[in-house]
Parts: sequence; structure tokens; C-alpha cells
Amino acid sequence: MKRLSIITISMLLLVSCTKFQDDINVNPNLPSTASNTQLIANAELYLPGLSSSPQGEYYAQYLAETEYPNLSLYNQVNFGFYDLYAGPLMNLETVLTSGKYDGNEGPVANQIAVAKILKSYFFWHITDRWGDVPYTDALKGKGNFAPKYDKQQVIYDSLFKALEDASNMIVTGNISNDIVYAGDMTKWKKLANTIRMLMALRLSKIDPSKGNTEFNKAIAAGVMTSNADNLVFKHLPDASNQNYWYGQVFGLNRSWWALSKTLVDRMKPTSDPRLATYGDKSKNTNDYAGLTFGNTAAINKDNFSLMGTSIWKQDAQIHLVTYAQSLFAKAEAAKLGWITGGDAAAKTNYDLAIEQSVRQWNNNNITGLATMMAHPNVAYDPATALKQIAEQRYIHLFMHGYEAWAEWRRTGFPNDMVSPGGKAVPRRQGYPTEESFNNTTNYKQAVQTQFGGQDDLSGRVWWDKP
Amino acid sequence: MKRLLLLLGCFLLCPALLFAQKGRIVTGTISSAQNTALENVTVSEKGTTNAVVADVNGKFSIKLTTDKSVLVFSFVGYATKEVAVGDATTLNVKLDNDKGDLEGVVVTALGISRKERSLGYATQAVKGENLTMTKEQNVLGSLAGKIAGVQVVGASGASMGGTQKIKIRGVNSINGSGEPLIVVDGTPISNANFAGRNGGDFGNLGQDVNPEDIETINVLKGPAASALYGIRGQYGVIMITTKKGNRRGKNLNVQLNSAYSIERVGNFIPLQDVYGGGSSQTWRTLANGDKYVDMSVDESWGPKMDGTLARSVFSFYPQDAEYGKLTPFVPQPDNVKDFFETGSTLNNGITLTGGSTNHNFRISFNDTRIKGVEPNTWLRRNNLGLSASFDLTSKLVFTSNINVAYNKGQRPSQGYDGGSRYLVQWFQRNIDINRLKDYKYADGTFKQWNLNRPTAAGVMNSYKALYWNNPYFEAYENLNNDNRSRFFGDVGLTYMFTRSFKVSGFARGDMFTQNIEDREAFGGRYVPAYATGKYENREMNYELLAEYNKTWQDVSLNITGGGNLYSRRYNELYMATKGGLSSPGFYNIAASIDRPTVSNYLLTKQIKSLYAMASFGYKDTYFLDATLRNDNSSTLPVKNNSYWYPSLSGSFVFSEMLDWKALSFGKVRLSYAKAGSDLSPYQTSQVFGVGGVYGTTNTLFVPDRLNNPDIEPSFANSFEAGLDLRFFKNRLGIDFTYYVQNNKNQILNLDVSGTSGVTSTVINAGHIQNKGFEISLTGTPIQSRNLVWNIALNIARNQGMVKELYPGTNVYALDVNTYSGVSAYLNSYVGKPFGSLIGKAYQRDAATGMILLGANNMPLYTNADYDFGSVVPDYTGGLRNNFKYKNFDLGVMMDYQFGGKFFSWSKMMAVKTGMAEETAAMNDRGKNVRDDPASGGGVKVTGVLASTKQVVTAYVDARTYYRTTLGTHVYEEWLYNASYIKLREVRLGYSFGNKIMSKLPFKSMNLAFIARNPAMIWQKAPKGLDPSELSAGSNSISWLETGGLNTVRSFGVNLNINF
Repeated sequence: MKRLSIITISMLLLVSCTKFQDDINVNPNLPSTASNTQLIANAELYLPGLSSSPQGEYYAQYLAETEYPNLSLYNQVNFGFYDLYAGPLMNLETVLTSGKYDGNEGPVANQIAVAKILKSYFFWHITDRWGDVPYTDALKGKGNFAPKYDKQQVIYDSLFKALEDASNMIVTGNISNDIVYAGDMTKWKKLANTIRMLMALRLSKIDPSKGNTEFNKAIAAGVMTSNADNLVFKHLPDASNQNYWYGQVFGLNRSWWALSKTLVDRMKPTSDPRLATYGDKSKNTNDYAGLTFGNTAAINKDNFSLMGTSIWKQDAQIHLVTYAQSLFAKAEAAKLGWITGGDAAAKTNYDLAIEQSVRQWNNNNITGLATMMAHPNVAYDPATALKQIAEQRYIHLFMHGYEAWAEWRRTGFPNDMVSPGGKAVPRRQGYPTEESFNNTTNYKQAVQTQFGGQDDLSGRVWWDKP
Repeated sequence: MKRLLLLLGCFLLCPALLFAQKGRIVTGTISSAQNTALENVTVSEKGTTNAVVADVNGKFSIKLTTDKSVLVFSFVGYATKEVAVGDATTLNVKLDNDKGDLEGVVVTALGISRKERSLGYATQAVKGENLTMTKEQNVLGSLAGKIAGVQVVGASGASMGGTQKIKIRGVNSINGSGEPLIVVDGTPISNANFAGRNGGDFGNLGQDVNPEDIETINVLKGPAASALYGIRGQYGVIMITTKKGNRRGKNLNVQLNSAYSIERVGNFIPLQDVYGGGSSQTWRTLANGDKYVDMSVDESWGPKMDGTLARSVFSFYPQDAEYGKLTPFVPQPDNVKDFFETGSTLNNGITLTGGSTNHNFRISFNDTRIKGVEPNTWLRRNNLGLSASFDLTSKLVFTSNINVAYNKGQRPSQGYDGGSRYLVQWFQRNIDINRLKDYKYADGTFKQWNLNRPTAAGVMNSYKALYWNNPYFEAYENLNNDNRSRFFGDVGLTYMFTRSFKVSGFARGDMFTQNIEDREAFGGRYVPAYATGKYENREMNYELLAEYNKTWQDVSLNITGGGNLYSRRYNELYMATKGGLSSPGFYNIAASIDRPTVSNYLLTKQIKSLYAMASFGYKDTYFLDATLRNDNSSTLPVKNNSYWYPSLSGSFVFSEMLDWKALSFGKVRLSYAKAGSDLSPYQTSQVFGVGGVYGTTNTLFVPDRLNNPDIEPSFANSFEAGLDLRFFKNRLGIDFTYYVQNNKNQILNLDVSGTSGVTSTVINAGHIQNKGFEISLTGTPIQSRNLVWNIALNIARNQGMVKELYPGTNVYALDVNTYSGVSAYLNSYVGKPFGSLIGKAYQRDAATGMILLGANNMPLYTNADYDFGSVVPDYTGGLRNNFKYKNFDLGVMMDYQFGGKFFSWSKMMAVKTGMAEETAAMNDRGKNVRDDPASGGGVKVTGVLASTKQVVTAYVDARTYYRTTLGTHVYEEWLYNASYIKLREVRLGYSFGNKIMSKLPFKSMNLAFIARNPAMIWQKAPKGLDPSELSAGSNSISWLETGGLNTVRSFGVNLNINF
């Protein structure tokens, strides 16, 4: 009985106490603090996703669907961007705003600079695909669950500024955990300025004077000078870090992608040495053959060039911002008169761009380069220079569909894109459907002011002047 | 086993030791408590069929047929009474009014026994025998239709113990979660679920209760009834009381129960038998001109199966007898059906009960072996139970319940990818499934039907399965194994200070270890892989309860107070190989080629509670209850972690005031209660996610969900009114309940714009209201000596309404599914019922409502934002009929649901891939829809041309129509009404009579024919779908069928022997 009383009393005491052990509701499974460079590294893991998506390849018409044609018919209107905001951008924003820095991971200024550069790069990608998007009010967490949309022009201006700041603040000293440049800040600086230069060129129609100014400032600040400066994401030969296309082609047995006729018919006549890298010879004819983009009739895959093995291999490299791209930009700028040197400078940059592109794609091997350069379609011709530059850039940007598509929208080249089933090549992507649920007012307003209420593929973003 | 035999042997000898009474006549009079004679009372000799009926003066006379007879006096409206005859020849018997079945004592929250008439809220009970009538294995499943307001959504029997989900009174949380708490003999037990929409359905863990052990299940439906469970009882409580030994019975009672049933798959989606595999009706040919079946296409849009000689996929295997040969291209009408086997369930149970004046006990053991309807699937289950009580002193009683369950299974995969579900989704109508059965050639090469095409020369470059493995490869190589050890039970002491005051203390435990293993075999479509997960849970409840009960002349008082400490520790360890396995046949994490995925997780939670209840009764007519509970939850922020809930209820037995003979009992009841809920742990402080590892660089990320340090508990306020009427000496009963429940300030993981940097946030927001009524009708239309007919009908109507969400937010996204770039959503909108199905609909002409057609006469469709209405049904319920005719008993259980909707992906896929019947139907021009529209074929489409607004009727290409348009985009086509009426259980039993029994060493024996799910009587959805079996693993709301296992019909026999 006594014992029972003791038990009773002790139980009552136990129960009546409203205090719990201090750490009972502290999650033991996840860290409550994070290293800035590990957050940056996680953001870097999203880089290949900016390129490795079938949709981008279809917009640029690099690849045609051999089976189950669907997305290449431009049926899908709305595309998600939450993964980019809540993924890499929120990591980078946390680095920029947390105020907690650890100098052991490299100079704090450099950590901030890298976060700024990457944030700018992701935002550039986003605004080019969708148009006006949340920027100034975005990434505030509970500070604003329904951010307003900013004009693309405002975003561009902010990004120019952010890239300039980033480039200027870089000091000596590497940062840790950097999986793209191994912490080499000279490369980050060149990247910042090269992105700024490419962005400036985007304004060639809508605001050439601003474009011209930014372009020259970027060059002055120092752009890429070799392929070693390229922003490349190197996949690893392991299942956790593998190429998207490897998962598709090898993992899921999907031989669903052939090189498009648009691409092959541009490369084959000039004996372009990159063609062997881009695609395989067809099984039946042992020759390169592109598949008409948007084809819906049943075909025999064996008659066409499928995506090349080195493109879909597990540890393939994803080229995002490249030296050759900067050279094409300079060539175009010279032709436009943004930089000095006229046709001569344009030709120099153009020739070098193609060479660097071949080196980039063919493992530094330039066999066949001279033959191709001699072909009249390729050899620099002042009369058709802008077209040539655009088309050679198109070939160079292979598999970086969204970038090539943006350049097509700006330049109109290649001018023989297919309209599958009568559907024109999209000029933007529709906002994610979830925005109409979660950010209704701002979403509606953005669609109204830009596109007269139609959130579809035909609306033109600000810089895409007809 | 030897000992058991010995025990049985003893029993065989017992009857011989008893003295004889056989042949003696016993007479007597039967009267009510008020001393009025009762006519028509059945007087039967226990264990026999010998019975008589009392005459108009209550007199009876019965000739005994056995020795040591016990007479049973039974009459509707009165408590059945058993009287041992002994050596008496005259028996005068008084029967008390029956408050038993419907109006007796019920076990309420915390195990407190209360007179049913004193309750001011609705509870409804089901007896164990009505749960096990056809030996349903999952307790929750056996509740279907038996309780008004309880909706059961089940899984097919093919899953062998798959998920059975319960919702009481609609959906009471905006996020769709909220299952009732399951309490067994006072011990709350976990009803966790480890199944997803795809893969094996391991079922809800509540099924570890042995149905044979259940005496009654009492469902506490509203917050008033469950108020004393506080936080955990917000969504109702399912109180299970197990059978106990009898202190007044014999020393030992043995019961054997065996059942064997066979299971057959029923209800297939009707498929076409005209066109075979391929994507075009044009034959593919090799260089030599031989036609061949396109094995690279997992669809049936191919050539006509008209016997054309062609090379089948098997003819490309050099190991095959058919190698290089041409065979006729013909349909295989049963190639889906033939994959399934006849399953079986064997269930054996033994129970020993006993007791004497100072103790009682019950021991049970149950063994279940199921062979599944899908090849190479099985389940084994064992249940052990012990319940006992001992009087340690005259005032101190020790009680204990111990339950042990073990499950071990090899289950089929459900859902879209994997397993056999693709047979109606992506397949060729010409594949002979029997040829696939032998899935390996003698040299070990796997035989697949879906491969890359051969070269023009007829050479295969690869024999690796392209998109789908041979279904037998799935069944025999890609094994899913799981097992679970479970223990739950309690030990307790009760000390009776006085007759009216007692204090009891209990320690209650519920523990399980669930292991789940998956294999992806070598030689299949996917990279070989192995994954193993271990999930352990331990939940303890320490409870102290003081009860004071006193009745003065007209006043009764019950005061209860107590406290509870809840403590849970859960941890899991999951490991999966990455990048392949190092050695064929070696399924182990150590075989991982790349760095394996490993995760561990630990969860701890505590709730400290205090509670009190006071109940007053006056003249056994007026009753008033009040409860108060305080909970402190460790998962809430310290500043908000203590909260109170009150409840108040009252009842008035007005029949006591009335002198209306027809009304045997009448009661009104009213209640109000507040209930609350907390949230899962670790949602109040910021953490970072652990990201991928790149080489030697580890990464971290900001999670997509924002935690909230200011979260508060959410509260539900409910009001309930009820009327309980019984007429004609209780032969007709009506129980009516009306309720309104407002759930406010809910704890939600609210989706926000991802541009904020997070995609959702834990937040207090929203208001969802449910109101409705429940009617349960019970009746005994026939009560005579030979025939008794009992009916129980349940009807429940619930209307839910989302009243508000977070300010500025009008929609709450519950779930989304994207396939082929097309999404379908489950959303809730402010001002609408819970759970709208959202997807692409037909564009329609505003004026006529006709479908709008595009330039090519194809239907036009909207964006994926069309609201098709709510998934929640309007009416649910069931009807039970029990007949007893002489030695036969017949039980028939039906349940139904009206309203509610769902999308069916299986149906969509069957149409998309040209398998479904309609894709090869004849059109009204007498041609097959697949024939060229230009020459009389095509699918007839009538609509309004969007461009010209003219009404047109056109014939369009079947493949473009079904595959590219409807099958990919128009979810309106795949939306089905979930209404149904289902015959769920039938039992026809026979109790053996004296003649046989006297020759057998048993006291009684019942043999029954049982049938589970024998027929769907009516359903609105087309054949092949089963709206009663939409459960998709642990998903809280079933709105999208993506490959549910086929319906299983089960028929068998059940033998029950009492020693």
C-alpha cells in the first residue's frame, strides 16, 4: 500500500510538471546551423539542371523525339520555377543575408561574391524563360509569402549591378567546398563579367545603348580568356552525381532522342568535326542523319543519328557559360559597332570562337577544323556575318537549349525552325500553375501587364522585341 | 502440443462424470421485474436445439435432453438469462429489462464503464461476432458499414492485409489527415502506415489486433465522447474491448476456430481483342520480308490480330523452340486474367478461457497463412493474446493484457510502376501470358516481351527489358519482403478503498519493429538494387485514475480524475544501394557499387495530461456530464504548450415521464466539446537539410518547408444533439444524431509561393466545418421460436465546408500528380467542400454546353484548373441482416456510399495504350473506330467547332483521339463517381444438433460457409474499377487510382468448436 502511494504521488508529480527536457523538441536528425560554402555547393548542384532538360533542347530544336512525341509538340504551357527559388536561390540568399560567416571557409567577401554571381546567373536564366518574375520581394521567407513580380528590365538592371559588385569585391584567397571552380576566385571574377557581357548583348534590340555600356564595362572588368575559365559542371561516374541524360538513356532505356534535321543539315555539309561528338551515325545507313523536328509519324530509329554517347555518358560535362560564347559575343559586338575593330575584329573573334568551341567539344582536338573553316558557309563573310555568328553560336550551344533558344529569340537565327503541328516555337514559358493558387493577385497582374491576361507560350519577354 | 492433447483428453472424459438428468421435465413461469407474466419467451436448453416458447401466462414446460442442463430464457427487450437446472423440476424466472445490447453498460473514454442511458453523446458499438462473421483480417476493414458516420476505404484483398482507412464524420482537417485513435483495453495503439501509392501495401498497423480476441468495438464519434483523450482523440476514438475469462464460469473453456477460404480475382477492365501490339496498323518487316510484332511498343495500337503469320518476340530468342519461326498473330483474351492464381487463406485459432472467484484469464493463439492471388505472394501472421486479472488481496486487483503479433509477407506491388499493374496499362493484347510464365530459359537468359527492335537482319542487339519486365520476373525476382513484430498491452493495479472509491494505475506499452526490404534483380529493366528499412516505435502511457461512484436514492454521482504521461520514441534506419550491385544474387548494402543512401531518424515526443470528469444522474432520468482536460505537448513551443479542453453533455430519458406503451425507451442528448491537436515534433525551429555529396564535398540546403516557432495548438468545437428511441419492447430502435464541428486555427503545412524561397510553411490557419446527421436503425421484424430476423441499418450524411484559409489564400493544395506533363490536383477552396478534384476538362460551348472542337475536329480541353467537385461522399452506411432459423444462421452485410469522386489512371492508361474495349469498338457506320475515318472508320465526335461555332459531327482517327487527346489530357473522361452498394460479407452457418453432438466430445459446433466481397451490387464507375477499394497506402485521401490491385472475391468455410 505504501509503495502504491509512492507510485501514485510520483506519477502525479511527473504529470503535473509542464516542463520538458530542453532538447526534446530539437531535431536530432538535422543540423541547425550551416556552413555558407556548403550552402553554395548545394546551389551549384542545381547548375546542370539549367541545361539538362528535354524542354530546352526542344525549344532550340537540337533534339527530336523518336518515340512518343509529346513535349516537342509544344503541348505543355506551364512550367515550374519553385525548385529554383526554394532550391539554389534560397541557399544563396541565406548566405547573403544570414550575417554569419566563417573565415575558415575563405575570405568572407569572396563567399558573398560567389553567392551573388550564382544568384545572378540563376535569376538571369529564370527571367529569360518566364519574363517578369518575383525578384526584389522574393526569397524573404515568412517576410513575404506572396512576392510581387518585377519587370524584367528592373531585374536586368539589378543583375548588372550585382555582378559588377561581385566582381569588384573579390579579394585574394580561395573559398572551400566549391565544386565548379575549386575556389579559384580569378575564375569567378571572369565568370561574373562574362555573364554580364552576355546579358548586355541580350539588350541588342530593346536597349542597345544600355547593352553597349554594360558590355564594355564587363570587358573592361575582365572576361574569360580560355576554355579553362568555362563554367562547367562535371558529372561524376557515380549514380548520385550522374548526368541527367545517362539516367534517361541508360537507366530508363530511352533511346528517345535523335539529332534534329535542323542541326545535322547545318553541320554535315561543312564536315563539322563536332558532329561526331554530338551524335552517332545511324545504325542502318552508317551516316549522320537528322530527324525532322516535331515528326509524329512512326519512324525507324535505326535510320537516324541518336544523341552521342559522350553527350549522355554518366560523367559528361555540362557547359554553361563558355569562352567560345564570349568570343561569339565579341564578334557580334564588333559587327554591331559596340566594340572597335569592325569586321576584322569580328572575324578574329568569330574564327577563334569556332576553334575554341571545337576544342571544348572535341577534347581539345582540332582535327577537321581547317576544312570546316574553309567551307563557304562557315568562312566569315561580312555580308552575312550576323547570321553566321548566330548560327555558329547555335551549333556551339548544343545541349544548352534554353540559352540557344534565348539567342534565337533575340537574333531570329537559325531562321528555319520547324512549327510542329502548326505550333510556333515558344517565345516564353507559362508561369507555374501553383502561382495562380499561391500568389494569385501578383500572378494575375503580371500576366495582365505583360501579356494582356494570356499566360501562354506566345507572349514575348521584355527584351524580345519583334 | 502434447500438453494440449492431454488437456483435451481430460475434457473428453468430463461428461461421463456428470450425473444424469436426461428426460426430466421442467416447468415454470416467467415474469418481468414488475411481476407481469411474459409470453413468447423462448426457453431453450443451452448447447442444443431443444426449445419451447412460454404461453400467454408466461408458463413453459420443457423436456430436458441432456445432462446438467442450463436453460436459456430469451426475449427481445429483456436481458437473456441462463439458469442451471440442477435437480429442480420447477423454475420461476424473472427477466430484467434489457439494457444490454443497445442500452446496457458501455465502455467509454479511459475505459470507464457507463450506463448507456446516461451518455449525452453518440457512441455506437459492434459486437465481436459481427466483426468476424467472415473472418476479415483487418479490424478496421471489418467495421465497413457497421457504424453510422464511419467511412472505411479499403484495399483489395490481393494486398493481404493492405490499408484500411477510417474517417469519422467526414474530413476534419484541411490537410486531410486525422484518423481516429485506436484504443485496445485502454491502451492507445499505433495505426501507422508504411505504404505509399506505389509498391507493397503493408497496411495500417491497427490490424495487429486479433479480430478473434475482440468482444466489442465502441466508436466514440465526436469530440464530446473522446474529450478525455484530449489531443489524441480529436478525430474520434475506436475503443476495442477484448474478450476476458469468466470468473463465474467453468475452470477452463477451450474453443477452436478454423477457417479456410479461397480467393479469386474478379472485376477486370474490359479489353479489346482485335488489335495487337504496335503503334501503327502497318506491319514492321525484316529485310527478308518477314513481318514481326513490334516488341518495342508497350501498347496495342498495332496490326489487326487476324492470324497473320509473323515473328513474335519469342522467335528472336535462339533458346526458344519458336526461334526464327512465323506464328499466327492472334488475340490472347485472357492474358491479364491468367496471370492471377487462386489464393487461399487458412486461419486456425485456439482460445482457452477460465477463472474462478479470485482470478480469470484468457489465452488465445491465432495462425493465419495467406497465399496471394498474385504469383509468389504470401503472408503469415501469428497472434498471441493473454488477458488476466487476479485479486491480490480482497481490495487489490492486478490486471494485464498482453498482445503479441508477428507478420511476415511477400507482397505484390501496387500503383503505376512495378509489379503486375501494368498489364492493363501498358501491354500487348497478343502476348500469351503462359509463355512468359517460364521466365528464364535453360541457359539463364531472362525471357522478356518488351525489347528493342531487331536489326533489319533480324538480330537483337540487346535482350535487356526495355520498359517493362516480364511480370513473372517481377513476381519471382523483384521481391518485396516485410515483417513486423508487435507487442502491446498493459499491466495495472486497482485498489478499492471502498465500494465507491477506487484508484488504479496502469503502465501501457505499444511497440513495433517494422522491416521492409526491396530488391531490384539482376537482368531486369532497372539497375539492380537492394534497400532495407527498419522502423521502430515505442509508445508508453503511464496512467493513474481515481474513480468515485456513489448512488443515493435518486442521485448518482461519478467523479473521475487522473493523469497520463505519454512518451514516444520512434527511430528508423533506411539504407539503399546506389549505382548497382557488385555480385549477382548478393542482396546486401555491402554490395552497393556507389556510396549507398543511408539515413537515420529519431523522434521523441511527450504529452503530459491531467483530466477530470464529473457525472450526475437524477432519478436515472436526467444526466449531466462535465469533463476537463489539460495537455502539455512537447512538440509545441514552450510558451504555447499547455492547453485545456472542456466538454459538457447531458441526457434526458424522457420515456420515464411518458406512459406510452409503444415507446420502450426514449432519450434526448446534447453535448458540446472542445478538442485540440498539436503537431509532429521538430516543426518549431529552423534546421538545414543534408544535401547530396559531390565527390568529397558535402552539401547543405535550406529546406523547402519553413518551421514556425510561434505555432499554437488548434481547436475544434463541436456541438451534437441526438435522439434515441426504441419501440415495441425494443424491437425497433432509432438513433438519430445531428452534429456540427468547427475546426479552427488548424496547424497546416500551407503551400506558399515558392518565390518566397520556401514552398510551404507551418502555420495556424483555416477553418473547416463539418455538419451532418447519422441515423442508425435496428429492428427485429420477426421473432418467433424458429425464426429470428434482425436488421441494422446505418445512414450518415456529412457536409464539409472549408470556411477559411490563410488570409489572401483561397486554395489549399493537398496533392498533385503529374504524368506526361499533365497535372491533376487535389485542392481545397474557401467556400467549397473539402477536397476538389482539379484537372483538364473539355472546353465547352457556353450556349449549348457541347464540347468545343478544334480545327482537326479533336476535342479542345481547358488548362488543368477545372474543378470537378469534391472527393468526399455525401452518404455512407451499411445494412446488416441476421437470420436465425432453427439451426441455421445467416448473416448478410452490405455497405454503400453515395457521392464522392475519383480519377482512375488505370482506365486512362488502358484507353491511352489501345487496350481498353472502347478503343476498338464498332462505330455507327458499322466499321471499327480504328479503321480510316475516310473509309467509314473513326470515332464519332459531335461538338461545336470553336472557330465557326457550328455544330459538327465528325469521325476522327481513333489513336489521335484516345491516345493523344483523351488519354493524355482530358481528365474529365477519367473522373468517376464513387457511389456503390457492395455485398461485403455473407455467412451461412449451421449449429450441429444434439444427435451429432452427443456423439462428439464437443459442447457445440458451428460450421459456416463464408464469403467476403462476393459481389458489387451496384456501382456508378465502370467495370474494372472498385470505388470501395481506393485506398492508396498511407495517403490520407484517396482521390487518384493509379493501379490498385484487382478486387478479390473470397469464399470459404469456418468451423467453430467449443469444448
